Amino acid sequence: MSTSISTRFTRPEPKTVGLYVALYGAALLFLTPYIYMVSTSLKTEAFAFSQQPYWIPPEITFRWYEAVLQGAPIFQWFLNTLIIAGATTVIVVIIDSMIAFSLTKLEWPGKRIVFTVIIASFMVPIYANMVPLYTIISDFGLINSPLAVILPFSAIPIGVFLFAQFFKDLPDSVIEAAKLDGFSTFQIYLRIVLPLMKPAIAALSLYTFVYTWNQFLWPLIVLQGENSFTLPVGIVTTQPTQVFQPGAEMAVTLLAAAPLFIVFLILQEHLVNAVQMQGTTG
Amino acid sequence: MATKDPGSLLSRLPVDAVDSETRDGVLFALPYLLVFSVFLLYPLLKGLYMSLFDWNAFNPSQSEFILADNYIRMVQDPTFWAAVRATLYFVVLTVPTLVILGLALALGVNQDIKGKRFLRTVFFSPYVLTVSVVSLIWADMYAPQYGPINYYLEFFMSNPPAWLNSYTFAMPAVALATIWWTVGFNFVILLAARQGVPERLYEAARIDGASTWRAFKDITLPQMRPALVFVTTVQLIASFQVFGQVFIMTDGGPGDTTQTLVMYLFRVAFRQQEFGYAAAIGYFLFVVLVAVSLINYKFVGGND
Repeated sequence: MSTSISTRFTRPEPKTVGLYVALYGAALLFLTPYIYMVSTSLKTEAFAFSQQPYWIPPEITFRWYEAVLQGAPIFQWFLNTLIIAGATTVIVVIIDSMIAFSLTKLEWPGKRIVFTVIIASFMVPIYANMVPLYTIISDFGLINSPLAVILPFSAIPIGVFLFAQFFKDLPDSVIEAAKLDGFSTFQIYLRIVLPLMKPAIAALSLYTFVYTWNQFLWPLIVLQGENSFTLPVGIVTTQPTQVFQPGAEMAVTLLAAAPLFIVFLILQEHLVNAVQMQGTTG
Repeated sequence: MATKDPGSLLSRLPVDAVDSETRDGVLFALPYLLVFSVFLLYPLLKGLYMSLFDWNAFNPSQSEFILADNYIRMVQDPTFWAAVRATLYFVVLTVPTLVILGLALALGVNQDIKGKRFLRTVFFSPYVLTVSVVSLIWADMYAPQYGPINYYLEFFMSNPPAWLNSYTFAMPAVALATIWWTVGFNFVILLAARQGVPERLYEAARIDGASTWRAFKDITLPQMRPALVFVTTVQLIASFQVFGQVFIMTDGGPGDTTQTLVMYLFRVAFRQQEFGYAAAIGYFLFVVLVAVSLINYKFVGGND
């Protein structure tokens, strides 16, 4: 096209320059907190407390990382977080896909009421429920147990809703055909529905994992011993050095942020899709 | 797995009249319904029940039934109203900015520019951080003695605010950190929505000689309306429930200026052990959130 060729070789319009300046300027501002975290975690005490922000530390030290690894059970926190986020994700995918299959593809009396109640409960924030939930978890003797976080987070209905949206689009003819072939309901679910729903499962898994991994308030309430903390709780309730040190704080912050951030950089497309999926089905 | 043999459980019951589809339907629904009932529905009812008692956290059987006294106490509690005001202030500071900035970034990145992927990664990335990481980084950046923010502000003003220790600036500071943290969520959803607007609408507008502003007002905004309402609803609900940022960065202070509703609820429940009163505040929060969601759903429903 002649117009596009001619614009490509002319000088960029001021509007385009403005757009680049605005977007890349914003990007630089967005990156500043990361740069601060990394550089402070490598600064010596004198430079970390200095008025002047040395973005590139004149003198690099790893002593804060050593202090953190010795002074806080950060690996234990990492394991706790992994167990909680992993187990919640597995449970959510299994039980949510089962009930969504039942609600969209099977006929049974009362299912409409059940569906309505689940959709309505969308609006129940776990925070508003936290006092009664705490007494229930406490009655079960689950305080300090990973289950204290896993079970309440498995009850959140968003996955049921999202799966139901996807299962609805699955043609009934596929299921009828499988029935004629003598498949049981369980076989249809396992061998037909689940394989066809891989993208939805991947998206929901990733979303649930990130969501659970990052939870703060609820784990803070029900996990009370240092060794049962998750990463988000541990890094704010335990100070790895005797007096406050910005370097140590940024080192522990970086170590806590790193695992999920690396996962994000690798699976970015999928996570963005998972978030966008909510926007388009919600 | 419990579902391996779905037949055995119910076939032993006297329910011959129940056909196999009903049986399977119920069995497939059961695992979720169990978790849902015990950890979501039951607490919801128990919360209402608890809110009618002077609940004894250590010995619940000693709790005293006081009907609506917790709710009466709530409406007469100045600290509660301070928390309502702080929460509303936080909502006003964050929600419009989060939606408008998210939209601006989405429309910008949607233009024909180089480095789209890089920009998307940068703007979205803080969303995967946990609130503790965000709060600790920003608390250090705000530090009056050694934080970089005031170092640069001192070039422009002689006495920059003490941010998190300031009665005036603590909440805006928390809001700014929150915007950095969550605007990426709105950004990616609005970017997808913008990419879903058919290009031919813009071509037709261009042929008609419509200005960029007209195209934005008459095509972009109406076409993206469902997504805009969605992100606004999500942000409203999230901002009403703000907790981690204030808990970590200010602990509700200075004074009670950043003590939001969930923060106050946490304090009443787990520092003062007043479970009945806390349950009443929780119920209030729940009703407010339902109202906010319903108003928004109605708003969307009109355009469906």
